[in-house]
This record gives sequence, structure tokens and C-alpha cells, in this order.
Amino acid sequence: MTQRRVAITGLGLVSPFGGDLPDFFARLLAGESAVHFLQTDDVPRPLAIPFVSCPGFDADAELGKPLAGTMDRFAQLGTAAAYRAWQDAGLSRGQPAESRENWGVSWGTALGGTLAYEKGYKELWIKGRERVSPLSVILGMNNAANAHISIQLGLGGVSMSHTVACASSAIAIGEAFRRVRSGEAPVMLTGGSDVPQAYGVARAWEALRVMANCDEKTAAQACRPFSAERTGLVLGEGGAALVLEDWEHAVARGARIHGEMVGYGTTCDHSHLVRPDAAGQVRALNMALADAGLTPADIDYVNAHGTATAEGDPVEIAALRTVFGEAAARLAVSGTKSMHGHQLGAAGAIEAIITVLALREQAIPPTAHLGEPDPACAGVDHVGSGRPQQLRAALSNSFAFGGSNAVLAFRAVTP
Amino acid sequence: MLPTMDSLGLIREFLHNRLGVPSERVVADAALVSLGVDSLMMLELMFEFEDRFGITLSKDLKSPKTVGDMTALMDRLRQAKG
Repeated sequence: MTQRRVAITGLGLVSPFGGDLPDFFARLLAGESAVHFLQTDDVPRPLAIPFVSCPGFDADAELGKPLAGTMDRFAQLGTAAAYRAWQDAGLSRGQPAESRENWGVSWGTALGGTLAYEKGYKELWIKGRERVSPLSVILGMNNAANAHISIQLGLGGVSMSHTVACASSAIAIGEAFRRVRSGEAPVMLTGGSDVPQAYGVARAWEALRVMANCDEKTAAQACRPFSAERTGLVLGEGGAALVLEDWEHAVARGARIHGEMVGYGTTCDHSHLVRPDAAGQVRALNMALADAGLTPADIDYVNAHGTATAEGDPVEIAALRTVFGEAAARLAVSGTKSMHGHQLGAAGAIEAIITVLALREQAIPPTAHLGEPDPACAGVDHVGSGRPQQLRAALSNSFAFGGSNAVLAFRAVTP
Repeated sequence: MLPTMDSLGLIREFLHNRLGVPSERVVADAALVSLGVDSLMMLELMFEFEDRFGITLSKDLKSPKTVGDMTALMDRLRQAKG
């Protein structure tokens, strides 16, 4: 079967800095952090954690009050990101001239509508009520975001959600890529969204002892992937979307092409739920390279999973050293979660966008606050400051609890 | 007899808060569907009504079609409750 080339024609996200996409990338290049200190009024013990929010996001204004009222925040952020990517791709939301019955949506979310469920628990157990809102099911269901997006954009093909912890949206993008490349769908809207600030969810992450240590003054620098002084990850909410399109279809309609998606690899460590294994990551990296028809020598940049946990970072670098061999030393690597945090099921999509923008703009955003790299993470070119660089192809890594690994491969488009 | 405005006021408040419908459009002969009340929103409206007035609606209750039908139903059930 002839494989189609896959163009990236739309990028959209709800920025943790509150601005648009160019603003988002410019701030990342400058090493600016969106992390702040979140303090809630929950009783008896408020949340007091480093966090990344989407400031200024007004779901009623962006989606319309009736629609926004039938969505949990994760679906609101996701649908808003999808609208922005759709607009960026120059696609209409009205009645299209061509059929969209085989255009689809592939979405990632680790948590789904946890805020809706938590609200229900509070009603039942704290307020002593006997019932919850009849909208609770449709607010909470994990496929709510992709369902709303399919309905609002009028897409009649596959509409699926992927729940694979921190690799959710990377896998969603990979599966969308396969459908466009095979010719099954000329256009796929893909990405992910998550909202981890439900009280019980945030407390559960605290209990894992993987959250960064900080206070109000140090929150912005709390997430330090690959640093010798890293203390853990920073959670965040977010939504990000990409439009993947059959290359010829994109060219025929005169669409702007941001970059080309060329490969996808996904594997499972099949060894431990939370302790990552370099061997599984190596297989995913090699699979993505083979799928793309690229060799390690073709890759100029890797946007790392890099959560800044004690165990995860050295394993990821070990996997890169294994795959890239002698070329690893010149391989530019950055962990952008240092600035935008970890949006769980949305992280893969946010980082895919960053990787595509790096290729398009020929510039690498840094691992902010890196300081002295951990010797256990040595052997690659850690990018500690944003810099221009000639980039031909790049990878984006997403490695999840459960041992699921996803690697996405992108290539720059020569003007 | 309960004042009709209480039930109408609740419907107006609900439609304004949830759907942004201006109160002047919420009149007796207005079809609920024309105000944006689909089957899901009707469930929410019923839930709000039950909650606010302490009434339990039977599961096989036929959905009212107009604002007038809805207020009449609410008033009847509230009166029956006493």
C-alpha cells in the first residue's frame, strides 16, 4: 500500500502564559517559566503546590455558554485548543464544500473529567445530598473532549480517546498519523488535554513523592529536568491540538505546512508500573526512527520527556546514549517541562507542538534552570539556554507510568 | 394557590445562568427547544426543580414542550406537595 506523506497544517494550544502560539514559543526560547505556587481554600488542608495554570482562559467566551456548560474543564481546554488549531489550518467550522465523513479525531487524556466526579463526591459525602447532577456522566467521561470536537467540527470519521498516562496524547498523535499516512483519513485533528487540579488527584500525586519541592518564592524554578539539583515534577493543566493532513490534500488547498510528521514508535517496558526501563525506551526510539526512514545521524534535537524525577531522567538519557551511540554527544536535548510543567495527558501534544516549532523556527528552547547537569544524565548536549540551530529532524519523547513509551518523529520543511 | 412567577422565575434564572437566554424570551408559549433546552438540559432543569422545591419527579414523566407546560407542571407538583 502506498504511504501518504503527512503534513502538519494546524497548531493550537491554550497557553500557560495566556498569550498566543508565537508568544508561547518566544517565552520558551527565552527560558521563561509559567510555574506558579498554587494555594487553594480546600479544608481541612489546602493545596500548596507548584502548578501551571491557563490564565485568562474563558470557556464561556471562547466556546459559548451553552456548550461550555456541558463540558468539564478538560474538554473545554481541549475543544478550545482544537478550535485554535483548526483556525490555524485555515479550515472552516461552518458547512464545508467537501465531505468530512472520513476526517477524524484522536485525543489523549490521562484523567478525563475528574473535576466533575470530584464535585459529585463532594455533593454526596460532604454536603450529604442523595443525588448528583444528571450531566455528571457526560462531563466526566474520558471521550468527552474528542466527542465534542467531532461534533463541533463536523467530523464523521473515527473519534477516539487514548488514556495512557503521560503518553496519552503522544500516542493519540501517533495513531492519528498512521490513519493519515495509510490514506484512511485525509485529515485528523489530534492532541490532548488534562486538568490535574482536582483535590484528590493532586493529593494522589503528592503521595507518590514525585512533586518538586518549593515555596512561593522558588516555584518558578521548581522543575529542573536533568539537573543535579532536581527535586521532582510540576503538574499543570492544558490543552493542545495539531491538524495532521495528507500532504497532497494540504498542498491542493494551499495550506501552510508547519512541518512533516514522519515516524512513530510505541512500546511497553513490560517490567514495572512506575520504574522506567531504558530497554523499552530504546525500542520505541528505534521503532520511530525506522518508521521515519531516518538514522540517529539525521536527528538534530530531542524534546525529552524529562519530568525532573530522580529515576526517570537518567533512564531517558541512558536510552538516548544507547540509540545514538557516538552521535549522542552532539545531540541537542531539552526538557521543556521546566517551563510549561507536566500536563499529563496533554504533555505529549504540547511538546509535539514545541518540537514542530523548533524545526520551523530553527531554534531550540532550553531546559530552564538546568544549572549543573546530573552526572547520571551526561552524554548528550543539554541545551541550557535557548539558541538558534540548524535542525533537519527531531524527536519528541513521552514515557508513561505503566511502562508505555511513545516517540514521535518530525522533519523540517524546506522553504 | 402558589404564585406562578416562582416557577417561571426559576426557569428564567436557570436558562439565563446555563444558556445565557434573556429573561424576556422565556414566556409561556415559547417552546423549550427553541430556547436551547435539549434532552440533556431538560434533565438538568428537572434536577434543579427537584432540588429547589424538594420534589421527586417520576422517571416516566413526559417532558413538557413549552415554558407554560413546564410552569404548570411545576406548580401542580408543588401544590400537591403542599
